[in-house]
Amino acid sequence: MRTARAVAAQALLLLSFAGAQAPAQEARDWLERMNSAVEELNYRGTFVHVLLDGTPETLEIVHRNSNGESGERILSLDGAGREIVRQGDRVQGILPDQRIVLLESRRDVSPLVARLPNSSEELESHYEIRLRGNARVADRAVRVLEIRPRDEFRYGYTLWLDEATAMPLRSQLFDERGRVVEQIHFTAIEIPADIPATDLEATIDTTGFTTLRAPESSPSAGAVISWRAVVVPGGFKLSVATQSQMAGSDTPVEHLVYSDGLATVSVFIEARETKADVGEGFSNFGSTNAFSLTLRGRKVTAMGEVPPQTVRTIATSLVDE
Amino acid sequence: MTEQINDQISAFIDNELSADESSLLVRRFERDPEARARAMRYTLIGAAMRGELLDPHPTVLRQRVAAALAGAAPSSARVRTGGVERFARPLLGVGIAAAVAIVAIGALSVLNDVSFAPGGIAPDAAPPLTANLPTPEPSYVVPQEVDETRVVTPPTLLTNYLIVHGEYASGLTRTTVNSNVVGTAIESPERETAAAKPLPVGQEGLE
Repeated sequence: MRTARAVAAQALLLLSFAGAQAPAQEARDWLERMNSAVEELNYRGTFVHVLLDGTPETLEIVHRNSNGESGERILSLDGAGREIVRQGDRVQGILPDQRIVLLESRRDVSPLVARLPNSSEELESHYEIRLRGNARVADRAVRVLEIRPRDEFRYGYTLWLDEATAMPLRSQLFDERGRVVEQIHFTAIEIPADIPATDLEATIDTTGFTTLRAPESSPSAGAVISWRAVVVPGGFKLSVATQSQMAGSDTPVEHLVYSDGLATVSVFIEARETKADVGEGFSNFGSTNAFSLTLRGRKVTAMGEVPPQTVRTIATSLVDE
Repeated sequence: MTEQINDQISAFIDNELSADESSLLVRRFERDPEARARAMRYTLIGAAMRGELLDPHPTVLRQRVAAALAGAAPSSARVRTGGVERFARPLLGVGIAAAVAIVAIGALSVLNDVSFAPGGIAPDAAPPLTANLPTPEPSYVVPQEVDETRVVTPPTLLTNYLIVHGEYASGLTRTTVNSNVVGTAIESPERETAAAKPLPVGQEGLE
């Protein structure tokens, strides 16, 4: 009898363990589906972008995927009225408020760089991921997914994912104090089978604007990028180390990318002879934080959708190996 | 390992080191597996003495390392006491270190030193090379406290960085980055004017 009880207890223990694992796996599956949906689906819609100060801004987005090649156009319908178009081998940033067009070469590496870690444990040692229930957004049924960071070096997320496609129709980004630092909320979205390429063409008339583009000369092939951050928050790994010419700059910039699979931090290291006017200290673009400083005569900026202490930690630990 | 380092590790876990001393010690942890293991051991012994050994995360050590990384001063102005508990730790720790040293200090990661050519992608499973770390940089900068709302770099340059950064954003943050590019104008007109003048490569509208 005692043996039977012991077996039953063990079985219950195993069942409860399996029960706990299943929701975690399901939550992770939704995250995987969301990553694919954002990249692979055709969609167009309107969403409201709200930052910590509560100021709402309405934006229009068109995303097209044709034979594995994706392009995207986002237009601000109010405020600065800017537009960004990622298509083919280039990115245009159109800034009507400054009458400037930034023209960059496109690095089509996002799916490689920002993929989720291979092991569930790796991701979940830094984030707790769980499903919270069902709701409706933009007249579509959604699943609510919560991603909570386990330390203060990354932001948390609440995501409302379309039941049918896993597209994020609403998202909240929150800091270590639980404050919502950004919200994105689709008010309308359609997900057609196809979107014409012409829908990705810039809509702003740029006649008379100044175009800043990278010089024709490309960075020297085979150059070794020797800068590294020696102290980074757990889970962040170096994904890319590259050298590139940027629009409006006549000297190459070294670029490092660190990612924990969800959050990404870029580090830009200007050449010693640069004319770029990089200051020192913090700055921010909405929920993107940046920290700049001068190290060994090089002007360095780290930026990402992470708390200020994360970009500062990475930037200040850079060494030239 | 010297007695001085042992004392520093104990003080670190007890939150009795200054921010600068903590930063230096965390950097030592990156290159010194023995110091790291000892820190973990002391933390676990402390947890055992407080009946917290079942907690899967070495929270005390994580908090100390996180604070040191952030350049924060200790949260309380405690004085080094060299009390009974600290002297008891090494004795209690025998036999535990080997079992726990493999557990990395949770909030830290040290990157491998593989060289990358431009455009290179890191291998998937590149392990941290904790044994081949560079020696501490004498020029290491302890960050100064600054006003986090201060805008210090020309908006056009930051926008440029952000556009390039967006190329590498995850599916989770792609829309966030793009929204920040098109929806968030940074006000710094006097710097912006100066920055925009010498840089144009072409003076033309988009075709």
